[in-house]
Amino acid sequence: MADPVQAAEKDFFASLAARKKWRFHHIVYMAAGIGFLLWSADGVNLRLAELASGIPKIASYFVRMAPPKWSFAETIWMPAIETVYISVWGNVLATLIGLPLGLLAASNIIKFAPVRFVAKSILNLMRSISELIWAIFFVAAVGLGPFPGAVALGMNYAGILGRLYAEAMENVDPGPVEALQATGAGRIQVVLFAIFPQVLPQFVTYMLYWFEVGVRSATVLGMVGAGGIGFELVTTIKLFEFRETGVILLVILGMVTIIDYASTLIRSRIY
Amino acid sequence: MNQESTETTAPLQKRNPTMISLKDVSKTYTGEGATEALRSVSLDVREGEFLVILGPSGAGKSTLMRCINRLVEPTSGSIIVNGREVTSQRRELRAVRREVGMVFQQFNLVKRLSVLMNVLSGRLAYQPLWRSLIYSFDKADKRIAIECLARVNMEHKAFQRADTLSGGEQQRVAIARALAQQPKVILADEPVASLDPKIARQVLTYLKQIAGELGITVLCNLHQVEYAREYAERVVGLSQGRMIFDGPSGKLTDDILQQIYYREAEAGDDHDV
Repeated sequence: MADPVQAAEKDFFASLAARKKWRFHHIVYMAAGIGFLLWSADGVNLRLAELASGIPKIASYFVRMAPPKWSFAETIWMPAIETVYISVWGNVLATLIGLPLGLLAASNIIKFAPVRFVAKSILNLMRSISELIWAIFFVAAVGLGPFPGAVALGMNYAGILGRLYAEAMENVDPGPVEALQATGAGRIQVVLFAIFPQVLPQFVTYMLYWFEVGVRSATVLGMVGAGGIGFELVTTIKLFEFRETGVILLVILGMVTIIDYASTLIRSRIY
Repeated sequence: MNQESTETTAPLQKRNPTMISLKDVSKTYTGEGATEALRSVSLDVREGEFLVILGPSGAGKSTLMRCINRLVEPTSGSIIVNGREVTSQRRELRAVRREVGMVFQQFNLVKRLSVLMNVLSGRLAYQPLWRSLIYSFDKADKRIAIECLARVNMEHKAFQRADTLSGGEQQRVAIARALAQQPKVILADEPVASLDPKIARQVLTYLKQIAGELGITVLCNLHQVEYAREYAERVVGLSQGRMIFDGPSGKLTDDILQQIYYREAEAGDDHDV
């Protein structure tokens, strides 16, 4: 009489071996993937040799930044803080615009597909136009300064945060949602009492992370006249004042580091 | 907690008015491998009755319950709860749901909220929307919530977060949430399936007390025969979506249990709903 455990083992390894087999279509997909990488490498003129020969040039930039001209910090501390303001209000606007759109895009909140489609399309549009392009529009519309910068960040980040919020809300445990529906609570009440409490930690994480990204982005917005430290950054580079550039980069590094620590601290308090 | 008649006792129930009336309710889940979860079930349940619906997994117990508060849309048949047809019109539906509390196998509390907030959630259907938008409840609602918590002996944990509680405690809070609706009916869908026997008996005792003392009609899905025998006054047996028994738990003979639980095995146990 055959031992049933042994028989099961034999069957198991036989089917395991069968499952593992490479099939023809796997090789085709793999080849297609590699082919795509090579094709796009050609597209970006990927030439490692030139990059390698350029390293000394890049290094010379950094060498000329030393020693940083510390007195310059006096000139740039205001624009640096302005950069933080831009990011704060950019993210506030992003949440004010992105959250309602995210609600309309979440499949467990809106059952009627056309509404979700429209909300998603608006989010996609806002996201696909980068903050720099938005900034050019808004500088043209309302003039130079930090205000168009904040609105530009807000528009782009609304597209990003709205989508992240929608995904987070779609992934909540459906049990409490069903339980509150069963009490006769309205749709908005269900969102407030069953969905928001579940996604709060994720929302806070996203906001803090995009606040940090915003500070970095806002340094670039200055290049198109949308306020912040970016204007000084571009000016010093153009005037070959690399010791001043060094100070600006260190200030940006400092801000990002502080924000990183602060957000880690805040997130550890929300569980 | 309210002015419901507390003198409702078992013998009186015969004369109590009908609370739930199901007539030829069927449900077929569409999609791949269409399943007939309910086949023409008719059932009347009286006010204050404690009814156990017994059957194996996939018998249609959960579907039957969810048809009553329209978490599931029945394919055909009519359902009347407290004199109101459970229509699909949204306004009417919410009015019916407010009168029907539900308790789940997985408790379904919002884990990051306090016990009190979870119980107060049962009051949402009575609240204007502006109040919900600022997460505020009036004093009367808070009083109801703490009274409901006291009924399941959980008032001392009111300010704790729901995820700090054990399974049995969470289910008691879930019962308090259902009670906070001041419902006419409580639907308990496998309320003790994830609890150990001692805690399970405690939870079933609370549910039975609610039916007896508050005159709330309690429908309780179970798959364990011994609990049904211990707690039920009336048992409805479901198998493969059909009602094959309806009577007092004393009449639940081995022969009938055989019918409820083993018909499926003969037919092949490959459909699990």
